[in-house]
Amino acid sequence: MTMRYLPLLFLLLLIPGRMTAQGDLPGEAGKYYASQDYARAAEMWEQVLASGKESAEIYYNLGNAYFKMGDHVRAILNYERARLLAPQNDDIAFNLTIANQSVVDRIEELPRPFFARWMTSLAQKASADGWARLSSATFLIFLILLGSYLFSRSALIKKVAFFMAIAAILLSLVSFFLARQNHIHLKNRTGAIIQCPRSTIKSSPSDTGTDLFLIHEGLKVEITDSLDSWKEIRLPDGNKGWLKDSCLVRI
Amino acid sequence: MFRKTVIIAVMVLLGFRLGAEETRLVMSAPNAVAVGDQFRLTFNINQRGENLTLPDLSSFDVLMGPSFSSSTSIQYINGKSSQSQDFAYTYILRAKETGSFTIRPGSIEVDGKIYQSNALTIQVVSGQAQGSTAQGGQAQTDTPSGSGEAEASSATISKSDLFIRLELSRRQAWKGQQIIATVKLYANPNLPLAGFEEVNLPTYEGFYTQDIEIPQQINFKREVYNDKIYQVGILKKTVLFPQQTGTLTIRPFSITTQVQQRVRQRSFFDDFFTGVQTVRAKLTSDAVTVSVKELPPAPAGFSGGVGEFRISPELDLNEVTTNDAVTLKLHITGNGNIRLIQTPQLNLPGDFEQYDPTVTDNVRASDAGVTGTKTIEYLFQPKYEGTFKIPPMTFSWFNPQSGQYERQSTPEYELKVTRGSGDAGTGTVRQLRKQDVQSLGQDIRYISQKQERLHPRGSSWFGSTYFWSVYLLGAAAFAVFFVVYRKKMEENANIALVRNKKASRVARRHLKVAAGHLRQNQDEAFHDALLKAIWGYLSDKLGIPLANLRRETATEGLEAAKAAPELIDKMLAITDQCEYARFAPAAGNKAMHELYDRAAEVITTLEKQIKKQ
Repeated sequence: MTMRYLPLLFLLLLIPGRMTAQGDLPGEAGKYYASQDYARAAEMWEQVLASGKESAEIYYNLGNAYFKMGDHVRAILNYERARLLAPQNDDIAFNLTIANQSVVDRIEELPRPFFARWMTSLAQKASADGWARLSSATFLIFLILLGSYLFSRSALIKKVAFFMAIAAILLSLVSFFLARQNHIHLKNRTGAIIQCPRSTIKSSPSDTGTDLFLIHEGLKVEITDSLDSWKEIRLPDGNKGWLKDSCLVRI
Repeated sequence: MFRKTVIIAVMVLLGFRLGAEETRLVMSAPNAVAVGDQFRLTFNINQRGENLTLPDLSSFDVLMGPSFSSSTSIQYINGKSSQSQDFAYTYILRAKETGSFTIRPGSIEVDGKIYQSNALTIQVVSGQAQGSTAQGGQAQTDTPSGSGEAEASSATISKSDLFIRLELSRRQAWKGQQIIATVKLYANPNLPLAGFEEVNLPTYEGFYTQDIEIPQQINFKREVYNDKIYQVGILKKTVLFPQQTGTLTIRPFSITTQVQQRVRQRSFFDDFFTGVQTVRAKLTSDAVTVSVKELPPAPAGFSGGVGEFRISPELDLNEVTTNDAVTLKLHITGNGNIRLIQTPQLNLPGDFEQYDPTVTDNVRASDAGVTGTKTIEYLFQPKYEGTFKIPPMTFSWFNPQSGQYERQSTPEYELKVTRGSGDAGTGTVRQLRKQDVQSLGQDIRYISQKQERLHPRGSSWFGSTYFWSVYLLGAAAFAVFFVVYRKKMEENANIALVRNKKASRVARRHLKVAAGHLRQNQDEAFHDALLKAIWGYLSDKLGIPLANLRRETATEGLEAAKAAPELIDKMLAITDQCEYARFAPAAGNKAMHELYDRAAEVITTLEKQIKKQ
């Protein structure tokens, strides 16, 4: 009996898959990249992004093109953007590591508690939508198991269905929260890349503020506050200071 | 075979001709004279000739000639005699005016054949202040020691009479371009030079140098410098390669010479014993500057060569077995700073054992610069079988003549490697050595080929209507399903379950009725009740409606419920007996009792057997 409803439920899962036609601009750009005309490839990918659409692949490829052109700052920026969309892609992580080698500043990251680290690394196993899909799918599986528990005549089936239903609802909850976490990252985009070759971080949002430290282009920082054209940034080592927003690009 | 013989024969014949028979007319005269000087113009020939035709000598006064002389020399070497003859025609000429004159070839007839001499160029300069006409005859002598009758001059020697000079083939050069530096000693022909002491040759700072071999014996030649005739001796020749850019200065260097001078007589005896005194004169050169230009930006594959080069590669084997050594030889031939060329890198695929290349040069310095060959041997061993490509090497050099870089590439070689016999197993397990993967370079990973669909910026499926609707619709569907299905389920479960549970109770009630009929000896009613008890029980227990219950369906149902076959037979026997008794009574009370007991037993056993499952 339950089998009759399954295809219907899975159909619901597939609904978000709307196709978007964009010509073959990305494919064309790939050809230019292959023939080492990086500048033109980058230009075409930028065009795709300018149309308001995005995907991790486009950012990743654009980052590659900028890297090959020697523009490491923009390469890092685009890799970071790609990573927000697809944190699980190891190609992006690898190229980002290589591009980060050209960043002058060496910063010791602030140590974080182990569960926070586990949480982050678990969350990065899939994108926000990936977790969301897992969450909704396990929720539906939970309903099916609940049904089998309630209506099964066999005691064995009831027992198995009961424990599996509990596992499914837990998995669904966990993946829901991971999806939410990734989604918040994606929405807020608090990360930023330093654009100016050298920038002095001030203690207050004005030019008269005390110079705190000097950072270089390509460094990833977090924006924690803003005032007029000034942004309060936090470095990975926990240091905070103010910087003119012309020196920053949001990821 | 025949062709070879012919070639050898021809060569032998040619050799004879060259060695013994060649007839040459040689015209010789000093290459520099002063106006009014007399000098000799000589024609030498090794065979007797006739009709010597003189070239046009209108620029000179012919004072005398021709005076003919001949000489014959016979040599015995190792028992072989060789004879050579020399015939000389000498004219004495006098230069009339200054300038450079070319004497065209003269000719002579020998055995009906006409031989032409070489041409000569004579430079005539204005008369030297201290030159005397008497010295003219001595012009041919190449060493000044013969002109001992020089004027008795003061103890000082004028700088214009004796000096040293560094002559460079060019004063402007590219970095690395070769410059030929010649250290020359200039001496007035009338100055009796006795020898040298303390020769401090120039130190060429900022240059890589290579000496040109010159004869040990200094050969003096006549040369005109600043409109004066000098005896010029070459002390040293060096090829210079500038290693720095900008203006390089070659610092002055000095030589101490010994000059014989006639001293004034102090007494009669003085003259007798020491008429000539040797004087030391220290000569110092001027500093010379060279301006060196930096090379234009170098292309890839430039290895420092400046000059003209050619490369010729040579691979000794095309097909090898594993662990055989293969040599790729690269010959760099040409003219320029061969010694300073760096070894071009051979980038082999990673699975070759590559050794340091060995480099040998074979170079010679001459007036044309440094020429020769640099041979680089790249030795490597293929370790695995397969077909490998040896990538081309590009050698690029700077040509100072054109001011441009030139390049030449080696071809791409293909190397076939088969498994060597040494690797073949000898029954034992081959020792395999695991290797770390060689890291050849680092680069970012290639672009993604996936054409993932694009979605609007900032949008995400999480939190969208679709996302929430999955949960809501899922839950709603479950609720509907639950309500609908639960009712039906309850109904189904009630009927079947209740009937099943009540089956034995109903059967027992029927049996009780049957027992009542038995007591009252109502045959027909008893059998009816007994049948009702059995059929009713089976209908309830097996879930088969009474209307459908027959012998066959009951048997099937019981078999499906895994009742024992003899029990089924027993039960069928009871029903048969009941049916039979209904139409043919008078079985007796005892038989009916027995039938009742059997029916009760069958129902009890069935109840137990079916419940067990």
